[in-house]
Amino acid sequence: MLGLEFPQINEVIRWQNIFGSFNKIALMACAAAVIGIGVFLLAGNKDPLKAPKGIRNLAETIVEFIEDTIMQTIGKDGLVWTPWILSLFVFVYLCNVPGIIPILQMPVTARMALPLFLAVVVWIVYIAVGLRHQKAGYFKHMLWPPGVPVAMKPLVGLIEFASNIILRPFSLAIRLFANMLAGHMLLVTFSLLSAALFQAHTNKFLLVPMGILPLFMLIFLTAFEVLVGFLQAYIFMILTCVYIGQSRHSEHAEAH
Amino acid sequence: MLTATVTHTRGSFVVTVHHPATAGTDGSTAITTEPKPGPSPIVPELKEVVWTSGAFVVFAVLMRYFLYPRLRKGMDRRYTSIREDHDGADATRASAKTEVADYEAELAGVKAQAAAHIDVARRTLEAERTARLATVNAEIATKRGQAATAAESARAAVQGQIEAAVTDVSSRAIELAVGKAPDPGVVQRVVAEVMSVGVSR
Repeated sequence: MLGLEFPQINEVIRWQNIFGSFNKIALMACAAAVIGIGVFLLAGNKDPLKAPKGIRNLAETIVEFIEDTIMQTIGKDGLVWTPWILSLFVFVYLCNVPGIIPILQMPVTARMALPLFLAVVVWIVYIAVGLRHQKAGYFKHMLWPPGVPVAMKPLVGLIEFASNIILRPFSLAIRLFANMLAGHMLLVTFSLLSAALFQAHTNKFLLVPMGILPLFMLIFLTAFEVLVGFLQAYIFMILTCVYIGQSRHSEHAEAH
Repeated sequence: MLTATVTHTRGSFVVTVHHPATAGTDGSTAITTEPKPGPSPIVPELKEVVWTSGAFVVFAVLMRYFLYPRLRKGMDRRYTSIREDHDGADATRASAKTEVADYEAELAGVKAQAAAHIDVARRTLEAERTARLATVNAEIATKRGQAATAAESARAAVQGQIEAAVTDVSSRAIELAVGKAPDPGVVQRVVAEVMSVGVSR
């Protein structure tokens, strides 16, 4: 019988400090920032009048992708948010990617620190935008949609408050964090299973060939994580746009 | 004096304290600590919050004030240049269309002029041809008249000669038959009558 010893989850995500409080997560976050800066710096150095290709083409494609998303969710006025939302998307994506890069193999976003920080920033931003555009009416419009009977207002207000003010930032953070951590754990699980089967000491003729199955699953999941990494960055970015858009032109406010 | 030995095996730390007073047979007292719990998978670690948020803030600030404006400015310059090129191309196309229209109008004028010239030339040629034809016909008629006159004269001359010859032959034949020369005038008249009948027949 195969005796597979699976490590506890906090062992899988435990990283030694490289120096001071600087660990692998911090290193990859800094590397993500440096790579992002490098890509846009190199892209900006290319001759803009020539047809874009290579790194400039990549950067311009990302910028246009973000601008299109902003146009569809916030509108033309929302283009002032492009640099910040572009930073969010690129940074989250670059923090997701290390999960499938050999040696690194740990997404920064599989730790709660970054998703929670970004979600709190988004939360502050969309509330600030709502207050700026709708003044104090923002909370009124948010808490009580039009047509709610007076008797229902306390209950609806409570639900809307919990939904918009408390749960929204947490759902934003946990969606990203949980998806990336789950992906990381799946990769760890299939890696360990595959390794254990290949190194089996008993029933070698049966267990060693069976090691191919989790290996294939590992390869498939790695490819899947490429998609998940992009998708989670996109979801985080588009939800940010939607929240800002809602704060700018509240449907509730329009109906009032 | 206490001496501590720390060993790490499979995720657990074992601290062994050596104390001479409480020493066992091997002279040591073993105190095993709980394995280090490691970071919570859910609770964010402050050091990671600081480092990751710091990295993001630096990236976002640079993107806001330097990277994005630079890239966007370049894109705008290229779009403006492309738009200007498009406008230039539109102007050139419009100018070319005007030139083509002018050329076609000019061509139509020239064609009309050429057609008029050809018409005039055709009419002139027709008039000249008619005039020449009339002249030639007149010449032909004149020459035909002259030829007819000449032929008639020749015929008359030949007829005279034949009548004279026939008259001579007839007179001689009558003379040989009758033995007396006939009146030449009568013979001549008879021959003339017979020949005129023959010619008319």
